[in-house]
Amino acid sequence: MFLWDLLFVNPIANALVILNNIFLSNFGVAIIIFTILMRLLTMPLTLRQIRSSRALSALQPKMQELQKKYKDPKRRQEETMKLYREAGVNPLGCLLPMLVQFPIWIALYNALRITVGGTPESIVSLSQRLYPWSYIEQAVPLENDFLWMDLGQPDTSLILAFIVFASTYVQQRLATPPTTDPRTQSTNQMMLWMMPLMFAFFTLQVPSGLGVYWGMSNIIGVIMYYFAHGPEPINWRTVLMPPSAAPAGKQASRRGEPPSKEKAPAEQPAEEPVEDALFPGSKRKKRLRHGRSRGKRKDRR
Amino acid sequence: MLATLFLATACVGIARPEGWAGPTLADDRLVASIERGELAAVDIQDSSGKVLWRFPPKDQNHPDGSKIDPEAIYSTPAVADGTVYFGAYDGWVYALNLATGDISWEVETGGPIIGSAVVEDGVVYVGSDDGKLYAFDAETGALKWRFKSDDNIWATPLVADGVVYVPSMDKKVYALDAASGEEKWHFKADAGLASTPVLADGTLLVGGMDRRLYALDAASGEEKWHFKADNWFWTRPLVLEDTVYAGSLDGKVYALDLNDGSPRWDEPFDTEAPVRAAPLLLDDVLLIVNRKGELFGLDPQNGQLMWPLPIDLAKTVLADPLAQGDMAYISAQGGDLFTVNKDGRAAPLVLTE
Repeated sequence: MFLWDLLFVNPIANALVILNNIFLSNFGVAIIIFTILMRLLTMPLTLRQIRSSRALSALQPKMQELQKKYKDPKRRQEETMKLYREAGVNPLGCLLPMLVQFPIWIALYNALRITVGGTPESIVSLSQRLYPWSYIEQAVPLENDFLWMDLGQPDTSLILAFIVFASTYVQQRLATPPTTDPRTQSTNQMMLWMMPLMFAFFTLQVPSGLGVYWGMSNIIGVIMYYFAHGPEPINWRTVLMPPSAAPAGKQASRRGEPPSKEKAPAEQPAEEPVEDALFPGSKRKKRLRHGRSRGKRKDRR
Repeated sequence: MLATLFLATACVGIARPEGWAGPTLADDRLVASIERGELAAVDIQDSSGKVLWRFPPKDQNHPDGSKIDPEAIYSTPAVADGTVYFGAYDGWVYALNLATGDISWEVETGGPIIGSAVVEDGVVYVGSDDGKLYAFDAETGALKWRFKSDDNIWATPLVADGVVYVPSMDKKVYALDAASGEEKWHFKADAGLASTPVLADGTLLVGGMDRRLYALDAASGEEKWHFKADNWFWTRPLVLEDTVYAGSLDGKVYALDLNDGSPRWDEPFDTEAPVRAAPLLLDDVLLIVNRKGELFGLDPQNGQLMWPLPIDLAKTVLADPLAQGDMAYISAQGGDLFTVNKDGRAAPLVLTE
């Protein structure tokens, strides 16, 4: 516990106080800036998560083939893993950024309890956490009012809970890779609603400062997704339609991936390396797009 | 897994005020907070421990119709002329009849009250989290004047020779005219000030969150000396002859020369836990209580232990203890009361209804 505090909670608490001093003694702004910095710090992991998600999307046609081809679950599993290996895809790659962020959430939660607890007891506890720098000590006690919230207390107005719910849903919706496996589809569908509901519920239980962190973190996540994917996959239809409602081919098309073999067998050969789908800017991909365009022009003629 | 971890996170709970009101003695009754947000008068004659009354009374509302709920009490009650005065975390200042616990008057301030109320010459002085120091008529609760500082006031004011000294979280300690509330001088420290000041031989002693204990000239506010510890000073210092004893949140107790701030002991006494409760002289023993509820009996001359072992109350203690002869009363977080004598024997005070 001592090490945990020393390595995570105390640095975060001090960083928040420093940011508070820099940004006009506004602790809400300090949390938002802290969130941006944390997301920038974990950006390589987030991009990896997005790439993993896209790679899984690209594998869907082949996964469908495997499902049709192998009825024995064990063999199907082996072939699936082989497919992942060949494509260089880690199916758990989507989880890693979340797992990495988890200690930050818990440490941030503890740091928030200490820094904006607001009670005299929490200020006494804060004295044991702050570094002995006069720049930091000058900030105590911290102003814990931000917009309509007391950052040290749960926001009972439901506004923050709704923001967290909506932003978690959108991010979850964009990050969930499509699948043709009915069981995975069902799990994804459940998680799509469970996660936002869970986060919204916890927003009502924990200091609203943590809810501000969650909401802001999700919004930044969506922005990162936008820049990683381009504007194409983000539209009302993408966000509101359940991920498993459409066949894999349509799903992939919506996500800017090549359609499945069922839909366009000539354009997406089964042997096409997954790397092409992973890196749409590659020469091979460009050639493919060029070919499609020419085909369309021919049709017009 | 996520759900489990989140539940573990959520179960930690929200920080809520507990209160650290110290006990007060008046007419053989101890007035103390015996539960969170509750004040009581306890008969200590023959160690009966009988609870005579509790505040707040059930089914009694404020004048505006809202329920009386002090939330937490940090304010050590002040007793004068048969009336108990204290402020509560709900922002109200209460005046109760010492005999019955009935409300004589109540006034609302603009924020939680952390410091204690002080009664002097028929006036109640109390600071509030709204940044104001209020002066109320002790009999009626009518506002005589108020002084606005630039930040929260969490400290207990000190009234002496017609001057009110009040430290504020705006890093300043103010000297105000007790009759009018007009500012005479102020001294600016490097961080917030929350400790109760003490006056000794024309020197005002006040501790700060900049880890300094300041000695100021009470007449002019000029700094005489300061002493720097490893953490904040949030205790009320104790002055015995020309020695200042002050505990710090760094866990140490310092003995300093009142005239120049030089250390009086070879080493400060290290309790190994933050010290918020004020040091107390129990006959010839310097009683120190740390946050972990460990009691130490020290020789004031050299800071050596007079009791072979510290007494462990196994409770968080942040309230100032109270001395009565060779006995001290200690109030722990949550409302447990203990007695300790100068020989280092401690016992819980058993309450009966």
